[in-house]
Amino acid sequence: MTPAGIAVLLGWGIFLSLFALAGGLFLLGIDRKLAAHMQARIGPPIRQPFIDIVKLLQKENVVPENAISGIFNLAPVIALASSILILFYLPVGSILPILGMYGDLVLVMYLLTVPALAMVAGGFASGSPYATVGAQREMVTMIAYEFPLAIVVIGVAWRIGAAGLSSPFALATIAATPIWTVVGPLGLIGAFILLLVLAVVTPAELSRIPFDTQEAETELAGGLLVEYSGRNLAMFYLAQGVKTLILAAVIVAIFFPWNLSGFLAMPPWLALPADLLFFLAKAIVVLFFAVTLVRVGMARFRITQVVSIYWRSLSVIGLFGLILLMADAALPALVGVGS
Amino acid sequence: MDPTSTLLTGAGYWNPLAWLLGLLVAFIIAWLIYSMGEKGYKPGTAQAEPFISGNKEPEMKGEVHVRAGNLYWGYLEALRGYYDRLVPLHSGNLHDYILWYLGITALFLFLVVIFP
Repeated sequence: MTPAGIAVLLGWGIFLSLFALAGGLFLLGIDRKLAAHMQARIGPPIRQPFIDIVKLLQKENVVPENAISGIFNLAPVIALASSILILFYLPVGSILPILGMYGDLVLVMYLLTVPALAMVAGGFASGSPYATVGAQREMVTMIAYEFPLAIVVIGVAWRIGAAGLSSPFALATIAATPIWTVVGPLGLIGAFILLLVLAVVTPAELSRIPFDTQEAETELAGGLLVEYSGRNLAMFYLAQGVKTLILAAVIVAIFFPWNLSGFLAMPPWLALPADLLFFLAKAIVVLFFAVTLVRVGMARFRITQVVSIYWRSLSVIGLFGLILLMADAALPALVGVGS
Repeated sequence: MDPTSTLLTGAGYWNPLAWLLGLLVAFIIAWLIYSMGEKGYKPGTAQAEPFISGNKEPEMKGEVHVRAGNLYWGYLEALRGYYDRLVPLHSGNLHDYILWYLGITALFLFLVVIFP
């Protein structure tokens, strides 16, 4: 790659990082506002997460006596950096993934575990029984939702590959060829089931009710984050925002990849901001149904129930969706043989 | 092998060097924000004591330590029916393990013959 090419990539990387930070906090603000309205409260202003970050950066950064300070301080920075990095592999609006040539959806699936592992490391390094239990629960939750998540990723990529497209795991391919356009009636049902499975995985990835056993304020006093304060907590808060944006971006890229500029003729200078705003609108809708509505309407599951839900119910439902997608691909060939 | 090459898995691909460079950019941005925050606190004061719901930490710190043996408690408890059957099979006797190995191999060979 030429130096000019590297400079362009770097520029896009910095732009996407800033977009991830601001967009993530904005989505957290929208989530809090919508949840408040559903509970008949006015709620905080949408800019409240930005205010929280500024305030946290001004607070003392306490390192508890029992903590392993190196890991305790490094974990929040790693969590934020690894969250931002995932966005480099995802399409955002009409911006193609800047590292799309260097990693696919399977890599994104693995990278999603890195911020969670950083939180686990920070929790164990806190030297607090609450944080230790929280870290243990985070590990168990991760093991629980990885299987249904893998079913979704493999199911969608396999069906796109069966439609004759090359590089089915590449996000550029998945975004350019929406799954709905390559499937028949059976496949439509299968893809919709996989969309629901991914929607149920989302709250667990984001440690939100009903899958927030690792933080559980009323039970573990914040769990993983109980000993964190100041700029360390600000980093985890920012990482939470970025992860929210990323999960929405994953769902949008796999299931709703359409852009405004694809439907309406507009000059290039307008297409980029219009598509970015449209992307944010899609992210808000996705997160409303996957996170906000669920967390307002439900109570927290016990950790054993979390494992049961993902390993039994959701895995079976996901496999059923996968079988429908496979049947959808195999059926035309079978009918052809029959005739 | 070229260290900058992209690894191909047959269906997927990834380039560790590009990942590392991406992480470096993201880490620098995260570190810049981190370094803008307040660094100090008061070591040795009450604010640095571990939070145990207002209780005083016992002299023997191990008394409130959650042991690593509990790491997968939620997982093992949720799938107890499976593990209750599986754990007793691990008798520690090598003969048992070889019997299982031969039995499973025979089963797979049988399946391969039935469904070639």
